[in-house]
Amino acid sequence: MRGGIDMRNIWLSVGLFLLFVLLVASGMAPEFVSTPDLERRYLSPSQAPPFGNDDRGISILEYALQGAKIVTLPAILSGLLVSVLAIVSGLSRCAGSSFDTVIQAFGELVGSLPRMVVILVVALMLPPDWKRLLPIGLTWAVLAAPAAMDEAAATAGRLGGARFVEALRAHGFSAVRIYLYHVVWLNLRSVIVRQAAEVGMQVVFLEIALSYLAVSRNEPSFTHSDSSYSWATLLYQGYTAFLDVPLFHSLYLGLGLVGVVALMAQSIRIAARAR
Amino acid sequence: MSWWIRPLVRIIAALTLPLAVPAVITMALWALPGDPAEIICPPAICPGTEALAQRWGLDQGPVYYYFNWLSSAIQGDFGDSWRVMAGEPVTTLRWDSLPTTAALVLLALIPLILGGVTAAAGLLPRRLDPLWQGMGLVPSVILALGAAAYVQLTYGALSSDGWPAMVRLLLGAAVLGISDGALAGAVVGTRSVFEEEIRSRYVQIALLRGESPVANALPNVLPALIGQFRGRILHVLSGAVVVEVVLGIPGLGDLLWDGTLLQDFGVVLAAAWAFGLLSAVLLLFQATCEILLALYVRRSPVGVA
Repeated sequence: MRGGIDMRNIWLSVGLFLLFVLLVASGMAPEFVSTPDLERRYLSPSQAPPFGNDDRGISILEYALQGAKIVTLPAILSGLLVSVLAIVSGLSRCAGSSFDTVIQAFGELVGSLPRMVVILVVALMLPPDWKRLLPIGLTWAVLAAPAAMDEAAATAGRLGGARFVEALRAHGFSAVRIYLYHVVWLNLRSVIVRQAAEVGMQVVFLEIALSYLAVSRNEPSFTHSDSSYSWATLLYQGYTAFLDVPLFHSLYLGLGLVGVVALMAQSIRIAARAR
Repeated sequence: MSWWIRPLVRIIAALTLPLAVPAVITMALWALPGDPAEIICPPAICPGTEALAQRWGLDQGPVYYYFNWLSSAIQGDFGDSWRVMAGEPVTTLRWDSLPTTAALVLLALIPLILGGVTAAAGLLPRRLDPLWQGMGLVPSVILALGAAAYVQLTYGALSSDGWPAMVRLLLGAAVLGISDGALAGAVVGTRSVFEEEIRSRYVQIALLRGESPVANALPNVLPALIGQFRGRILHVLSGAVVVEVVLGIPGLGDLLWDGTLLQDFGVVLAAAWAFGLLSAVLLLFQATCEILLALYVRRSPVGVA
């Protein structure tokens, strides 16, 4: 709306602010959590600001910061990988090449396996030194790519595909300008950003799920070293609050962090919506 | 693009998948740095790497390993588990856990089918869409945690038989059906496919002729709907791992997780192959439907195709 407030700018500000907070949090994360202090265990947020302590007297803020460090970079890189694959698919549809059929076959093969099954096989086979979220997140991004590639190709197809490019060439635009500005920036941007935001969010939730399952079986996680703690630790500790352990503050923080990630992804998704 | 290319690609993908899954795993085993036997089970966990390599045929190279495993798998022999349930045939473990996962997945599909059908029929108000979308933002692990807390508080942590087991299954199905955007996708996806088609000129003309818009649009939207449905089944299968472990449901996902956590390669490979076979069946089903529908549309009254 001309002269009015563009809601998309507000959502973009919210999304970018939350992303900035996550980046800062991951930068502030301690390498190791503090030494346990059993005299200060179970302290509430008012007794041990800002979020309280856990059952070993460690501030749960440290878990939150370490969790942010575990997820932030892999989530961003996974989102970028999906974006690149979606752009390739969209451009290939516009170029009208037979590569389009190859991409479709790739999508059929990769998209036809349950993602979690592939992730677990990858997690099993990763050498111990490589057991981090990044390879798992990138695998997830490749598995999620067919949907993004399909949507990008369909959007490019609706533009008119090769005829759209031909028409712009007739206007005298260079190939670089046509593909990067007219196709990618003006038309594929909303699809690419939305898919990247969703995959980034999924990678964070995947980390929480995998770490939670490992913690609940008392085994080391595939996604981070034994010396660091994921947000799943907050949820696992918080879950014991249902069994009368005074750790509801841990549960609230864990759920709050999940909410922040979901809000960030939604904000970016809405901000990128096509006019 | 000709109408037969997509189903053909799907058929080729379906036939390739059962061969591709063990092939990719084999290639990865030999491509990764280190000894394949040590990758399968690090010496810190499994002593006797040489015996392990001999038992799995890993000492005779990737080609031998691949064909040996595949020929055994085709005969239904996946070897014995060595860590999840040591000595137990993997086939037995797999068959024991399969019915539970099948029940969980089928139950989880009920809300998705109901949501899709009622949305397409216009019975589900559009103003409720934000509700489904909001619910869909919640990850499955969080909803499963809530469900697990309810079961533990109501029936006790060790309740795994009888009615509590059924409650776990029903709650697990509800979690799978709602979380990670499953229900939102079913409702919004099905509705948008139908609405777009019903706006088409041929459906509007059919309406003027007094014909049913659904009967006209259905053959043309079915391929897209079947594709969406296949995606939803895969989504539910994928989520089943998390839900089964958190809720303590002894299914294939739980078995796969135990196998991964305990480095029981035989169990994981067999489970992955089972999921691959299932995916191949789904692909073949979609391709068959697409071919039958294309043939039906082409032999219908002139002008429909």
